[in-house]
Amino acid sequence: MIVPFGHVFLLAGLIFSFGLICLVAHRNLIMTLVGVEVMMNGAAIAFVGAALRWHLMEGQAFMLFILAVAAAEVSVGLAIVVNVYRRTGSIDPDRYDILKG
Amino acid sequence: MTSWIQNPSLMAATLTTWLPFSSFLLIILFTRGFRRLSAGIAIAAVTGSLAGALFLLVRNWGASQPIHFAARWLIAGDFYIPFGFLLDPVSLLMLFLVAAISFLVQVYSLGYMSGDPGFSRYYAFQSLFAWAMITLSISSAMLQLYVFWELVGLSSYLLIGFWYEKFSATQAGKKAFVMTRLGDVSFFLGLLLVLVHMGNLEILEMNSPVTAARMHPGFLTLAALLIFGGIIGKSAQFPLMTWLPDAMEGPTPVSALLHSATMVAAGVYLFARLFPFLSQSAGAMAVFLAVGTVSMLLASTMAMVSRDIKRVWAFSTISQLGFMIMGLTAGSLFAGSFHLSTHAGFKALLFLCSGVWVHLYETNDVYEISKNGGRRLKIPMVCLIIAAAALSGLPPLSGFFSKEVILGALSSLKNPIWLAAGLLGVFLTAYYTFRVIFIILFPRQEVREEPTRHGNEIGFVYWTMTLPLIILAGVTVILGFLETPLREFISAGTVNLQNGEFAWLPYVSVGLAVSGVGIAWFEFGRRATAQIGFVERIPIVRELFAQRWYLDHLYRRFVDVVIDKVFSKTCTKNEDRVINEGIDRFCRFALGSSRLFSLLQSGKLRYNLFVMFGALALVALYFLFS
Amino acid sequence: MTVYSVIFYILAIVILVSTLLAITRRQPIHAVLYLIVAFLGTAALFFLLGAPLLAAFVVILYAGAIMVLVLFVIMMFQQSLRETGLMPQWGHAALLGVVFLAVTVAVVFKDPGSAMVLKGAAVQPKDFGRFLFDRYWLAVEIVSILLLVALVAILQIAKRRGAAGDEGEKREKEVHP
Repeated sequence: MIVPFGHVFLLAGLIFSFGLICLVAHRNLIMTLVGVEVMMNGAAIAFVGAALRWHLMEGQAFMLFILAVAAAEVSVGLAIVVNVYRRTGSIDPDRYDILKG
Repeated sequence: MTSWIQNPSLMAATLTTWLPFSSFLLIILFTRGFRRLSAGIAIAAVTGSLAGALFLLVRNWGASQPIHFAARWLIAGDFYIPFGFLLDPVSLLMLFLVAAISFLVQVYSLGYMSGDPGFSRYYAFQSLFAWAMITLSISSAMLQLYVFWELVGLSSYLLIGFWYEKFSATQAGKKAFVMTRLGDVSFFLGLLLVLVHMGNLEILEMNSPVTAARMHPGFLTLAALLIFGGIIGKSAQFPLMTWLPDAMEGPTPVSALLHSATMVAAGVYLFARLFPFLSQSAGAMAVFLAVGTVSMLLASTMAMVSRDIKRVWAFSTISQLGFMIMGLTAGSLFAGSFHLSTHAGFKALLFLCSGVWVHLYETNDVYEISKNGGRRLKIPMVCLIIAAAALSGLPPLSGFFSKEVILGALSSLKNPIWLAAGLLGVFLTAYYTFRVIFIILFPRQEVREEPTRHGNEIGFVYWTMTLPLIILAGVTVILGFLETPLREFISAGTVNLQNGEFAWLPYVSVGLAVSGVGIAWFEFGRRATAQIGFVERIPIVRELFAQRWYLDHLYRRFVDVVIDKVFSKTCTKNEDRVINEGIDRFCRFALGSSRLFSLLQSGKLRYNLFVMFGALALVALYFLFS
Repeated sequence: MTVYSVIFYILAIVILVSTLLAITRRQPIHAVLYLIVAFLGTAALFFLLGAPLLAAFVVILYAGAIMVLVLFVIMMFQQSLRETGLMPQWGHAALLGVVFLAVTVAVVFKDPGSAMVLKGAAVQPKDFGRFLFDRYWLAVEIVSILLLVALVAILQIAKRRGAAGDEGEKREKEVHP
C-alpha cells in the first residue's frame, strides 16, 4: 500500500506546471530546454504511476520511449542553440525577431 | 385596322405627318451641301402636308364623330403604347393652321435666310419642327403627344440657337429648353397619375365621363394641375414666362412660326384637346384662369416699355396666350380655339413684317428702324398696320371677332373681375401695339441713306418675302367673317356655353381699343413729342416692367441660393463627410486592426510558446467544464 | 500510513523543492545541478513505484548523459551569458501554471478512480525486457531510428564553418559577385 493514485497524479501535475512556468518565463534558451526537461519528468512520473495503478507494463515501456525522445530532442535543441549562438552571439530568444510581422 | 392605303383619310394623315420627317432625314443625311435642293425638298414636303391637311379638313368638315386610327407601337406584356391619329374638329383646324403657316414661313425663309451658311441645316430643322408639330396636332394618345411635345421643344432649341456662334443665342436656347422642360416634368407626372388610374392614355377616353367615374376628384384636380404645368412651360405663362422674350435670338421666321403661331400655341392646343377632361375639375379651372389673367396683364406691362420690336411681339404672344386660356377656362372651347386660329394669322404676320426690317437694317431696335426709314417700305408697313389693328381688336378684322367671343365667355362668369381684367388687357394691347406702329411711322429724325443690305431689290428674294405677307394679311381680314361656320364646326359634339347677355360688350371693348390707340398717338404719333410713354416716365415702374418684374432675378437667386448653396453644398458635404469619410474610416479601421494583429507576430519565441500553451490551457478548461 | 507512503511523500517533497529551486536560479549551471538532484529523486520514486530498470535508466541517461551534455554546452558560452535575470515576466507564466494546476486538481478530484490506493509491485528487468521486445519491438526499432536521425541532424546543424563551409562560401561569392 503506497498512496492513492490521485496523489501521484497531483505530483506529476505540479512538476509539469513548474516546467511550464520555467519554459515561458525565462529569457535564456538553456532555461527553455530545462523547462522542457522538467515537463518530461512530470509526464514520466504520471506514466509510471498509471502503470502501477492498472498493473500494465505499457506505462513503463512508454516511459522508456519518453526517455529516448527527450534525449534526442535535447541534443537537437542544444545543437540549434549552439548554432544560433555562433550566428548572433546571444542566447536571448527576444533578440531573434527577424520574423517579426 | 384598315390598311392605310385603302382609307383616304388615313393615307392623307400619314402622308401629312411623314413627309416632313422624310424631308428632314434627306436633308440632314444627304443634301447638306446643296442649298437649293434642300430648300426645295423641305418646301415640297410641307406643301404636301398642306395639301393633306386641306384634304382632311374639307373631307371631314361635317363629321359628327371624331375619326380614330391607332396601332400598337411599343408592347410590354399587357401594356402597350399606341400610336395613332385622332381627327376631330379642333385637331383638324390646328393641323391646317400649322401646315399653312409652316408653308408660308418656309417660303418666306427662302428670302430671309438666303446667303446664310447654315441654309440647309435651317430647312432640315424646319422640317423636323413641321413633322413634330403636325403629328402632335393629330396624336391620338397622350404618350404619343408627349413624345412629339418634346420633339417640338427640341426643334425650338435647335432653331433658337441656330446662329450658335453667338453666345446669347445658345444661352437663350438653353434657357428655353430648360424652362419648358420644367413644365414637362410636371406634365409627365400628371400623365402618370392619369395612367395609373385609367390604364391607358387615349385622348378619347380621357375626355369621356369614364375618367370622372374612375378617378377620385382630388386626383383629378391634381392631374389637371400637373398637366397644366406643362402648358405653363410650353406656352410661357406665369411663372415660366421669361424664356420667350429671350427666344427672339433666333431668326425672325422661326419666331414667327414657333414662338407666336404654333409651338407656344401647342400648350393652349393641349388645353383645348383635353378640354372635357380638364373642365371636370372646377378648382383647377379657377387656378388656370388666375394664371392666364396674371400672365396676360404682366406680359402687357412688359411690352409697354420694350424697345426691341421682336420682344414686343413676344410679350404680346404671352399676353394673348393668357387671353386664350382665360377664354378656355371661362368654359368656352370655341372662344379659345377661334382666338388661337386668328392669333396665329396676325401674329405671324406681325413677325414676318418686322422680319423685313430686321433683315434690311440688321437691328431689332424700334427707334433705329424708324430712323432708317422703315416706313418707306410700303407693303410691310401696310401689312403691319393691318396686323396691329387685328391684334388690338379693331373691327372688322379677325382679331375683333375672336376677342369678342372671349370677352363674351368671360362675362358669363360670376365674378366681374375677370371681365375687367380682360378689358384692361384689351386697352393695354392696343396701346403697346400702336406705340410701335407710331414710332416707326413717325420718326423723329430720318437718315436718308440706303439700307445696309440689298436695298429694295426686285426679284426672287423680294417676292418670296412679300407674298406670304400679302397672303397672311388677306387671311387676317377674312377670317373674322368665318366665325359662325367655324363655331358650328368646332362645337359639333361638344358642350356649347352661351355668351353673356351683355350687348354693350363689343362697344366697350372697341372703345377701349380706340382709346388705347388714341393715347399711343398722343404720346408717340404727334409731331414734336418726345416719344416717351406715360409708363416710361415713372422710373420705378419702367424699371419694373423692363426687368420683366424681376422674374429672371428671382430665378437666378433661387438657383444660386437654393440649388447651389443649400442643395448642392449639402450633397457635396454628404459625399465628402459621409460617403468618402465612411469608406476612409473603414479602411483605416481595417489597417489599424491588422496592425493590432501583427503584434502577435513579434517574432519572439517566448510569445509563441505562451500562446501555444495558453491555447492548450483553454482546451483543458473546456474539457474540464464540459 | 505505511512506510512506503512516508517515503513517497519525502521523495515528493525532494523532487518539488529541487525543481522549484532549479527554475528560479539566475545561473543556468545552478539550475542544471538542481535538476540533476530532481532526477535522482525521480529515480528513487520509480524504485518505489516498481520500475527498477527505469530508475536505473533515469540515473544513467537523464541525469548522467543529458544534463551533462547541457552543462558542456553552457560552458561553451561566454561568461556574460551565463547569468540571466530573475525570471522576468513571471506573471503570465504563473497564470498559465495555475490554470494547468487547477485543471489537474479538478480532474483528480472528479475521477473516482483516483482514490484507489496503489499496491506495491515491482517489475523484474528480465520480464520487462521480454515484454518490451515481444510486444513493442517495432516501437523500439523506430526509437533507434529516431536517435540516428537526431544524430545526423546534430552533426549537420552544429557543424562549425570549417573547410567545407569556406568552400561553400567561396562558391557563393563567384556566383553572386
